[in-house]
Amino acid sequence: MTDLDLVLGDVRRGMIPAHIYNDEEIFRLERERLFGRAWVFVGHTSEIPQPGDYVVRRVLEDSFIVARGEDGEVRALFNMCLHRGMQVCRAEMGNASHFRCPYHGWSYRNDGRLVGLPFHKDAYGGEAGFRRKGQTLLPAPALDTYNGLIFVSLDPDAPPLRDYLGDFAFYLDYYTRQSESGIELRGPQRWRVKANWKIGAENFAGDMYHTPQTHTSVVEIGLFREPKAEKRKDGCTYWAGNGGGTTYKLPPGSLEERLRYVGYPDVMIEKMKRQWSQAQLDVIGRDGFMVSAASVFPNLSLVHNWPRVEDSEDVLPFISIRTWQPVGPDETEVLSWFAVDAEAPEEFKALSYKAYLMCFGSTGMFEQDDVENWVSLTSTAAGSMARRLLLNSRMGLLEDGTTVVPPLPADRFAGPGEAFVGYGEHNQRHLLARWADHLERPVEKLAQVEVGGAAAQNATKAVSA
Amino acid sequence: MTAPTNTTGTRAVGSPLGGHASRIQRAGRSLPFSDERHLQAHHWLVEEAYLLDAQRYDEWLDLLADDVHYLMPVRVTTALGAGYDTSPGMAHFDENKYSLSRRVARFRTEHAWTEDPPSRLRHHVTNVRTFATDDPDHLVVDSAVLLYRSRGDVREAAVISAGREDLLRRARGGGWLLARRTIMVDDAVLRTQNLAIFL
Repeated sequence: MTDLDLVLGDVRRGMIPAHIYNDEEIFRLERERLFGRAWVFVGHTSEIPQPGDYVVRRVLEDSFIVARGEDGEVRALFNMCLHRGMQVCRAEMGNASHFRCPYHGWSYRNDGRLVGLPFHKDAYGGEAGFRRKGQTLLPAPALDTYNGLIFVSLDPDAPPLRDYLGDFAFYLDYYTRQSESGIELRGPQRWRVKANWKIGAENFAGDMYHTPQTHTSVVEIGLFREPKAEKRKDGCTYWAGNGGGTTYKLPPGSLEERLRYVGYPDVMIEKMKRQWSQAQLDVIGRDGFMVSAASVFPNLSLVHNWPRVEDSEDVLPFISIRTWQPVGPDETEVLSWFAVDAEAPEEFKALSYKAYLMCFGSTGMFEQDDVENWVSLTSTAAGSMARRLLLNSRMGLLEDGTTVVPPLPADRFAGPGEAFVGYGEHNQRHLLARWADHLERPVEKLAQVEVGGAAAQNATKAVSA
Repeated sequence: MTAPTNTTGTRAVGSPLGGHASRIQRAGRSLPFSDERHLQAHHWLVEEAYLLDAQRYDEWLDLLADDVHYLMPVRVTTALGAGYDTSPGMAHFDENKYSLSRRVARFRTEHAWTEDPPSRLRHHVTNVRTFATDDPDHLVVDSAVLLYRSRGDVREAAVISAGREDLLRRARGGGWLLARRTIMVDDAVLRTQNLAIFL
């Protein structure tokens, strides 16, 4: 048995019991107390642009049909027939006006409403026996969007998404709102890795320290322009609201010169200047930092980088969004999308896609070496020796808890939250502190929906997007 | 019996990066197994499989035409009749010779950790069908490939099953070069930690 208080206490002081990366008991708590209430990213409105478009996404085992109804509203419908519990949709994407259960033929409109119930009168005695009116597939308890990013929460009392994201929304705009039209998403590539989901989330949140070692090879082959991987330590990490990330320090220059340096064409730069606030522009133009990898608690990560994609000096930036979807304590399904500004020139979109493929995703050359490390960590964390080991995750802190370097003052970093130049594990600690906050709080009794009963007039939550 | 049509080669047209790819398509039914062209194509695939197993990637690159397009779409589960079974605009590989050469160059560094120690690889190639084209210097070849990839001594090996459609072009000095490959993997969710291998 694990003493949870002890584990959480250790995590909070930056000493990580190694077994939390492969532990059935911890995973059970994560399922119930963390994924049972946190906002989880499931897709983007650009994936389902037309009425009837849908994608099927999971929050752990729970399958949701994320569909745009004929009314244009986006909903997340629990993919379980109200009768015998079959999945009513077994494809992962498509366009449909209705979903019909293959078992007994109950059918639902794409807004979730039950419209077809064979032999309703003969078998149930009509409405007197089973109230068909007002029955819908169970909606996700909460659904909300930000810049078209669709999140669901299994907690009906979840705070508004915007409050949950907090000041991280400031940084999310760099990835998802480079123009008024926002991003379009392609993919995802999906693959399973035998690694615990937290490792990737921590890595993207703040691990600039691994770059020079893990990713030496991509610098050596000229994919990455920065001459030395050590360059990474000139950047800063920041944490704001419910997320944090890493940045690169750009060479001196104006806002425009710096955006050109990472490969953005002037037509896109002009839109960014209109779209972003003065503070958002100052982080780049005045302070010289450009966002790179980031994570939103618990398992959404983003990445922005600018490799060479042809045999020339030119670089091309790309954006990728991913979730670390837990399958078990030692296995994660990665869903990795390519994202690009919807208004970007077509040639830019094609080359940015190429940049993504070369760097991240199932074939990405950065990615390949990361996963090798995480798989090996996970398998070693399963044993009894790992229970004796408290990994030190206190980089950036002195023994008395003061920071090795002071946080960047407002005149050197215009963004919200707290930012530190150089290597540190501040963000990994932030992420795991939130993890500990969730794990120590038991969940309240779940409200149940009685199918066909009088109390079952559940309304489908929807948002205009 | 009519051989099932295979039009995977046309997918290159729809790929965002396949604009440069040769558009030559198969003509007619598969060649008899005794046909000299089939024997050459089959031989080529088997020799290639040995190079990929041994990770002799520099020699493998020499088998690729300068205008090669190497495409591995992302497969998706869609309803029967949806009309598509790949993710629109997304692939695992969508490569030209330059990007493939960077991948190979990376394995040559001493810091490509994912393949150090290297995987034990076995490409099983079967179900080979060869088709003539309207151009005597080009053949279309279908094959099935099963890749067994074993790493270390703890985890179970990964298996990747795929169908391939290749366009082979007669090389000037004799032999054949790969001008186009489309890899139709049979999994929607890959069960391998990455694709630091080639199919």
